[in-house]
Amino acid sequence: MRLGLVITPLVLALSGCSKVSGLGFPEGVSSVNDISLSLWQGAWIAAGVVGVITLILILWPAVFHRAKPSKGEFPKQTQYNIPVEIIYTVVPFIIIAVLFYFTAVKENEIVEKSPTVAHEITVNAIQWSWQFGYPEAGEKAVVTGTPEKPPTLVVPVGERVRYTITASDVVHGFWIPAFMIQMQNLPGVTNHLEFTANKIGEFPGRCNILCGRNHAQMIFKLKVVSQADYQKYLDSLKASAA
Amino acid sequence: MTTYAERPTIAPAPGLAPAKKGKNFVKWITSTDHKTIGYLYLITSFAWFLIGGILALILRFELTRPGMQFISNEQYNQVFTMHGTIMLLMFATPLFVGFANVIMPLQIGAADVAFPRLNMLSYWLYLFGGIMVFAGFLSPGGAASFGWTAYAPLSNSTYSPGIGGDLWVVGLAIGGLGTILGGVNFITTIFTMRAPGMTMFRMSIFSWNVLLTSILVLLAFPPLAAALLGLEADRIYGTHIFDPANGGAMLWQHLFWFFGHPEVYILALPFFGIATEILPVFSRKPIFGYKGLIAATIAISALSVAVWAHHMFASGQVLLPFFSFMTFLIGVPTGVKFFNWIGTMWRGHVTFETPMLWVMGFLVTFLFGGLTGIILASPPLDFAVSASYFVVAHFHYVLFGTVVFAMFAGFYFWWPKMTGKMLDERLGKIHFWTLFFGFHITFLIQHWLGIKGFPRRYADYLATDGFTGMNMISTIGSFLLALSMIPFAINVWITRKSPKVEVDDPWGYGASLEWATSCPPPRHNFLSMPRIRSERPAFDLHHPHIKTEGH
Amino acid sequence: MKVNWQLFTGLSIFYVIMTVIYWYVGGEEVGITGMLLAACLAGMVGFYVWFTQKRIGKTLPADNLTAEIADGAGELGFYSPHSWWPLPVALSAIAAGMGLIIGWWLTLIAVVSLVISIIGWVTEYEKPIDDPSMTAHH
Repeated sequence: MRLGLVITPLVLALSGCSKVSGLGFPEGVSSVNDISLSLWQGAWIAAGVVGVITLILILWPAVFHRAKPSKGEFPKQTQYNIPVEIIYTVVPFIIIAVLFYFTAVKENEIVEKSPTVAHEITVNAIQWSWQFGYPEAGEKAVVTGTPEKPPTLVVPVGERVRYTITASDVVHGFWIPAFMIQMQNLPGVTNHLEFTANKIGEFPGRCNILCGRNHAQMIFKLKVVSQADYQKYLDSLKASAA
Repeated sequence: MTTYAERPTIAPAPGLAPAKKGKNFVKWITSTDHKTIGYLYLITSFAWFLIGGILALILRFELTRPGMQFISNEQYNQVFTMHGTIMLLMFATPLFVGFANVIMPLQIGAADVAFPRLNMLSYWLYLFGGIMVFAGFLSPGGAASFGWTAYAPLSNSTYSPGIGGDLWVVGLAIGGLGTILGGVNFITTIFTMRAPGMTMFRMSIFSWNVLLTSILVLLAFPPLAAALLGLEADRIYGTHIFDPANGGAMLWQHLFWFFGHPEVYILALPFFGIATEILPVFSRKPIFGYKGLIAATIAISALSVAVWAHHMFASGQVLLPFFSFMTFLIGVPTGVKFFNWIGTMWRGHVTFETPMLWVMGFLVTFLFGGLTGIILASPPLDFAVSASYFVVAHFHYVLFGTVVFAMFAGFYFWWPKMTGKMLDERLGKIHFWTLFFGFHITFLIQHWLGIKGFPRRYADYLATDGFTGMNMISTIGSFLLALSMIPFAINVWITRKSPKVEVDDPWGYGASLEWATSCPPPRHNFLSMPRIRSERPAFDLHHPHIKTEGH
Repeated sequence: MKVNWQLFTGLSIFYVIMTVIYWYVGGEEVGITGMLLAACLAGMVGFYVWFTQKRIGKTLPADNLTAEIADGAGELGFYSPHSWWPLPVALSAIAAGMGLIIGWWLTLIAVVSLVISIIGWVTEYEKPIDDPSMTAHH
């Protein structure tokens, strides 16, 4: 019965693991993954070690310190143990200090803004779809989607893009799950995000901040294309806008 | 009528039940007895738990397969808004008030709370405020549908017209006032009405946690009330407090989460306290590291006011290093408490009556939830999974794991004290295991669902998304979870006719003062009180040959 | 009582420190204001408890490590045995809130009812002016 407590959650957790290395996230698809993935893996390993040790400590008395008539009625009435208490305060502090160090280094890298970027794209959220603007193709080069026909965000591979993230009405959330990155679209605020897509392909994108009735239909497709194809795309936008 | 503390010489006269049901009803609604008011809170909040649970089942059934089968998008938004609002503000927070009301005065040796009529006022404000919030479902536009977090400007009258939203805002403001008054009552009671010899450092951990939770209530609920009144002013008077042009979107998030984060500690601390009361009794040794535990809880209370923006990492507008550091830091005292609990069981003589089983369930579940919280405390990792089902899984693990598991632990543990009857052990174990598996099957898979990219608050998804299988598993779990309420209901029903508990302490090793009075206690709690020389006066009374080191 | 005022004052000082740190690292107005107000509230309560404890002077039985239960014998205070007044106060508050939504007229009625209910509550246990127990003073 008690084994069920341990085995079941572990089995359930492991049954979903197809790519153990990424622990759910693909490797190498974006500059963000390159920064965050090692922290994700490290944090899970740390959590796993702490969790397993603590779980064993919780279950140990449940199995080995059970009341038995042969043991008598009362155990030793220990009320405190200062050395032990100090250790179990200091060790968690060290663990989080290490986690914080890596966190601080990596979050600075992710939010860093470069003085120059290769490309700029505007991401304006509306109820209930997206407007992707490509200033390099002119002011009118804006692709607007609808809930019925979600838009595609086309970006070049291997080049750093600055995204200007805004909203026209309520708060929305610009999220690309595979790229381990998101940013809120706040009305009245201009947010900036920079990253490089590193793998050609298509990735789902979603609005993840509740924005009203069709929140679930506010999806988009991120299409990473070669740099040549990106130029062709920009040219086609210029042409159709003219 | 002034109340006198007297040395008892007579046994209490047998209680005479009021002859008519009407008299009983009036007795309850004019009550100023903290125990009765506590029972009202417990019953009402449990009813809301069941209602909130049904709303959850609606969500789960709708999400089982792609496509909208049962309800519309708008209705879905109403259902999860009300599910969250009910569970957090009409179930879990009042549940704390209920347990605190019933148990704390007994544990500190008081005859009642400091302000008995104010106590009842708090209950009425809660009851009617909650009904007002729920009444939104009856309005033409339906209930509030902007999430329990009510982000501006979605929650204003332009984007969420209809009185459902107004009923939500005003109902919560009034209910919140009740909670604040309850906090005032508890702090005053603990400060001024402890029995002779019941010094602060001999007070039970549950009562300490009630004190610290009440302080957090005083600090957190006024900002909520301010935010709610500002929102209502925008909604009905056309003010521009939360106008995005004035930075309203961020203003709301800051105000809301300044309340919202201490709120989750308001939800956690009392139930940590319940677990802390149960562990020593069923390990037959004192709580391990009593003073360290209090220090850790004070640290949590202090820090919880400085971490709120970890709910806003993805906004791009908050200081990531400050808030992630403070959030990591608050994990340390929380972890310390875990080792206090383990240390209590360690080398004890542990027995697994139902209350202890529930505490084990809490320990295991909260452990996992706490660890995913550490993951979320890191902004790079938060950017990957914030506002996805990963967060939904996290907060259900910590909240359900703490509040619900400890609630049932508290019910089974204090049922004899409250009702004079014991709940059935076998049904209790069936209840526990069904709920335990139901919960984990529902929520464990949701971590993976979030990592794979399923956002929270989505009413629907496409068949091509690959979310169907995981949603199906989660729904099956939720069904099992719902079923687990049946053995509990049966248990409550059949034990009405159980034999009456004749002793003060049916568990045998009760430590705190409530176990030194009858089951249930008399009107003003104690006809006689033992001498208080440690943090476990009832234990010292019943087992005088066991030495407890005094503080 | 010492622990009591120290607890609140300690929290207050902690929040002041947090406010200063947050302001220094570039925090924003809402958080600074919020934490400062939290510090003020905690400080206010801490000051009140300290001041009250100083006025009381002696150690209360509840804070006495070697107190006997009999030390607390005697009049504990007044506990209202039962009361109808919380209900009309609450209903008035609810009606006042509903009035924000439904119309001013309801709020007006509710405020009047609230004032009456509060007066009823406060004077619930008042004795008439010529009651014999009012004339003798201890």
